[in-house]
Amino acid sequence: MTTRTPSSSSRLWVLRIITIIIFVLLLGQLARLQFFQGVGYQQEAVVNRTRVVRVKAPRGIIYDRDGRILARNTAAYNVVLIPAELPDDPDYAISQQKRRALYQDVYDIIYEKLRELQPTPAPTPPPPDPKITRLVIDASRPPQPSVLTVDEMDQLVLERELGSAFLPVVVALNLPREVALAVDEETYRLPGVYLQLQPRREYPSGLYTSHIIGYMGPIPEEEEKAYAEKGYAPDAWVGWSDLEYQYEDTLHGQPGVRVLEVDVKGNEQRVVDEPTQPVPGHNLILSLDLELQKIMFDALVAGVNPKRSNSAAAVAVDPRTGYVLGMVSLPSYDNNVFADGITEEEYRTIVDSPGYPLLDHAISGIYPPGSTFKLVTASAGLQEKVITRKTILNAPGIIYLPNRNFPDNPNLAQPFVCWIHKSGGEHGDINVVQALAVSCDIFFYKVGGGYPPADFDGLGVQTLADYARLFGFGELSGIDLPGENAGLVPDPKWKRIAKGERWVTGDTYNMAIGQGDVLATPLQVTMMTAAVANDGILYQPQVVAAVTDAENHLVQFNRPVARRELPIDSKHLETVRQGMWYAVNADFGTAPEVALPNVEVAGKTGTAEFFDPQLGRDLTGNLPTHAWFTAFAPYEDPEIAITVFVYNGGEGSLVAAPIAKEILSKYFELKARDEAAGAKTLLDQLEEIAP
Amino acid sequence: MTRQNWRQFDWLLFLAILLVSIFGVIMIHSAVKGDPELVDFPKRQAVYVAVGVALMFIVAAFNYQILRTFTIPFYVFVMALLALVGALGQTIFGAQSWLDFFGLFPIQPSELAKVVLAMALSGYLAPRLDRIGDIRVVLTGILITLPILLLVAIQPDLGTAIVLAVEAAFIFFVAGLYFRYILAAAFLAVLSAPLAWNMLAEHQRTRILIFIDPTADPDAYFNVKQALVGVGSGGLLGKGYGQGTQSQLHFLRVRHTDFIFSVVAEELGFVGAAILLFLLFFIIWRLWRIADRADEPFGKLLVAGLTGVILFQTLVVVGMNMGLLPVTGLPLPFVSYGGNAMLSLMIFIGLAQSVAMRRT
Repeated sequence: MTTRTPSSSSRLWVLRIITIIIFVLLLGQLARLQFFQGVGYQQEAVVNRTRVVRVKAPRGIIYDRDGRILARNTAAYNVVLIPAELPDDPDYAISQQKRRALYQDVYDIIYEKLRELQPTPAPTPPPPDPKITRLVIDASRPPQPSVLTVDEMDQLVLERELGSAFLPVVVALNLPREVALAVDEETYRLPGVYLQLQPRREYPSGLYTSHIIGYMGPIPEEEEKAYAEKGYAPDAWVGWSDLEYQYEDTLHGQPGVRVLEVDVKGNEQRVVDEPTQPVPGHNLILSLDLELQKIMFDALVAGVNPKRSNSAAAVAVDPRTGYVLGMVSLPSYDNNVFADGITEEEYRTIVDSPGYPLLDHAISGIYPPGSTFKLVTASAGLQEKVITRKTILNAPGIIYLPNRNFPDNPNLAQPFVCWIHKSGGEHGDINVVQALAVSCDIFFYKVGGGYPPADFDGLGVQTLADYARLFGFGELSGIDLPGENAGLVPDPKWKRIAKGERWVTGDTYNMAIGQGDVLATPLQVTMMTAAVANDGILYQPQVVAAVTDAENHLVQFNRPVARRELPIDSKHLETVRQGMWYAVNADFGTAPEVALPNVEVAGKTGTAEFFDPQLGRDLTGNLPTHAWFTAFAPYEDPEIAITVFVYNGGEGSLVAAPIAKEILSKYFELKARDEAAGAKTLLDQLEEIAP
Repeated sequence: MTRQNWRQFDWLLFLAILLVSIFGVIMIHSAVKGDPELVDFPKRQAVYVAVGVALMFIVAAFNYQILRTFTIPFYVFVMALLALVGALGQTIFGAQSWLDFFGLFPIQPSELAKVVLAMALSGYLAPRLDRIGDIRVVLTGILITLPILLLVAIQPDLGTAIVLAVEAAFIFFVAGLYFRYILAAAFLAVLSAPLAWNMLAEHQRTRILIFIDPTADPDAYFNVKQALVGVGSGGLLGKGYGQGTQSQLHFLRVRHTDFIFSVVAEELGFVGAAILLFLLFFIIWRLWRIADRADEPFGKLLVAGLTGVILFQTLVVVGMNMGLLPVTGLPLPFVSYGGNAMLSLMIFIGLAQSVAMRRT
């Protein structure tokens, strides 16, 4: 029988057509994936199978001028688990049992070894000196080893398995070497357990040098791209502040790169390209003297009354070169707290402390320089022939500057007082040397702004401002540290724009004694003193004096850089220096207590009034004052210029000068000791071989 | 009794099947390379192919009308096996579908279920084609299908259950099922979808969810993604046999079974994959031809059902490898590794050849 039912035959044709449609569809999708999207998938396949392994380059070490280590690399040991490599069993219960046994093993090994190493409990430390705790944020603690419990490990591994089971889970942190070795010995029987070496930056001099050295941290999000272009691994740490930041490119080196082909478990199959070796970063040799730095730090901490002052700074430079010998800013912090990563809370604690510990007040803080500025006024007055060395000006305790519009109405005249007027005294007829020695305000008012009643013409604001700028005020010194503040040299144009007011002679008076709107950093004041001391060369301050490579071969030597030679006659600067000599060495000087028995010191005090809405005025209507003292020594052939600044410290002569004396006397003690030993510093040696 | 005629044997179909099967063995060899646990799989698959070809000839030599008379005992036997699997089968990838008699050869009764369902349903409908509009005939046909389908579904082997449903649908369709019934079935399917969703196992829901929204579960999406990368990175000529990075570096999982097509497309490129697709198309085309030329309804329906299975599995597996369809765990006919699938396919083909050879 031949019963080809027409209905079933037509339905089979329907199925054939469906078959054709299906295969055309499949072929179309195949072509779409392989031809039109092929390039993307090819890249994905390459990304899948290759891993770029970066071998971190050791970061450069930072030394002081004697080769003392200020920043170095150490390692922390972590124990990690790779979930994908842990014991496994199709039966979940058995799998868990095996794993927990392994966690227990890991825990026991670490815990036992840690307990073995535990020293007998140290006697409770004495309660910290409240004075120090205010000015020194010492949050540092040696990294504490820690290990997770079995339950915590279990939890973390289970969580990680939901994501990528090939990424390590950290189960123990900051293990001492001995513990790490104990774990390492056992890893052969602990599948999936690995030791991880975590490079760590260490700052042996901690809070003494934190404002110079700075600290590091993970790459900030907004700079990820820039660092990636420089070849940084995404998890690399970079300098965040100070030298660590400024010299990032020098310190960092080049990581080595190996491109591997891996399987799905990340097992290395073969090396694709020739691996490049890591190039260690270069070392920095600072002009800084760590011993002097510590002396300055200790002297400042000891000399500052923390109940009054929330910050202070001291700067010492070599006036012959501009090299920074020491630079301290209080409050200080221990930069080691950043080494292991700092929590948001810890960071806030530091940032929000009174006095802004992270700020380097020596270069970033701007304050009225007060009477230290009289060095500028005196130099300008002599050079511009407003006065000579022998000019005598009368300096009563108070003078009245006649009103500009009504010069004949004494009731409208503005009074200007000398600091000595408060105690009812006056300086009488004095010359410039005496005026510097006693820090006479009236004398410098007259030199700066003139005195119409006596037909005496002063410098005038423009000339005074020009000289201030010549001495480096109102401009960046160019120090190789980030965050420097240029300060402010006011002039009529500035006042018109900033305050919308006309410049008056009274403004020139205030400026002549470093008050009013003049603002300067302690570093700028120091560089001015150095320029006076070295007979007129304004240097660029430098912290890094030399760069060496990993084998300690000299790479670069930073010779002194003169910013300018001051257009001031040598004899005039000598006159100013004499004024500073008398300030220290004469009975009538403002800082006789700074005089040292063996070394002639010359200096200038400053007591700078400032306005702070919180401090206001005292009961007698006086503004609070910053204490300043700037000095150089020895008088002949000066080799150190120093400035001490104490925020709201009060009298410069009473607060800042004694600190400076302590620093200078210790400095010369050290110098005597070093000369007796006859050893050359690392920096001296490098300088000899430098081209 | 119709005369058996070996000249009617579809040698072209046989040749295509032999080519695809050998191609499968070769690709399995590449897929499992370097994996110590799977090292003898290509050899085993070669044995399955050889045994399968022999089985095909044996089945072809029998008159399928005689085999038809054993339908009821065969049906009962397979049902019993399926029930047994539920009781003591091994769990593989979340489904209890293997039965290992005396530890000799693990049997997957759900593969046999495809053969027996085609025989039973075709056997019932063939003499009743003139009454196909009768609701009682349709319902009886469904009653024959359901027990076996449900037993497979509760294993749970959803993939095979769907294949069985599709198989039955093909047979009904070719039997001339009225369009109103087809529409009613489609309507019922839509209505019961939420119910079916609740009955699905967790891993099955995940697979469907991933298909709809790949980002829902990145870990589960991994396999699909890797298969897509494998196919997409193949290009025109592929990376070369044994050179596919996706398969050789094990980014692709179950690459000798579910994702074998991705291995082909990666290593042999568009050309290799298109040739494979063409061969599969050719096989199906020849089977439709046999069904069309069958001179009595039982053989026609039987071949149509079995061909529907092959077409559907090809679509689902290749589509899954290219991200068109959700992951089901079905084998690619003649290519994927698996003894049971290969043997039951060869029985299919034997039956189809038997039909082809017994035309008058």
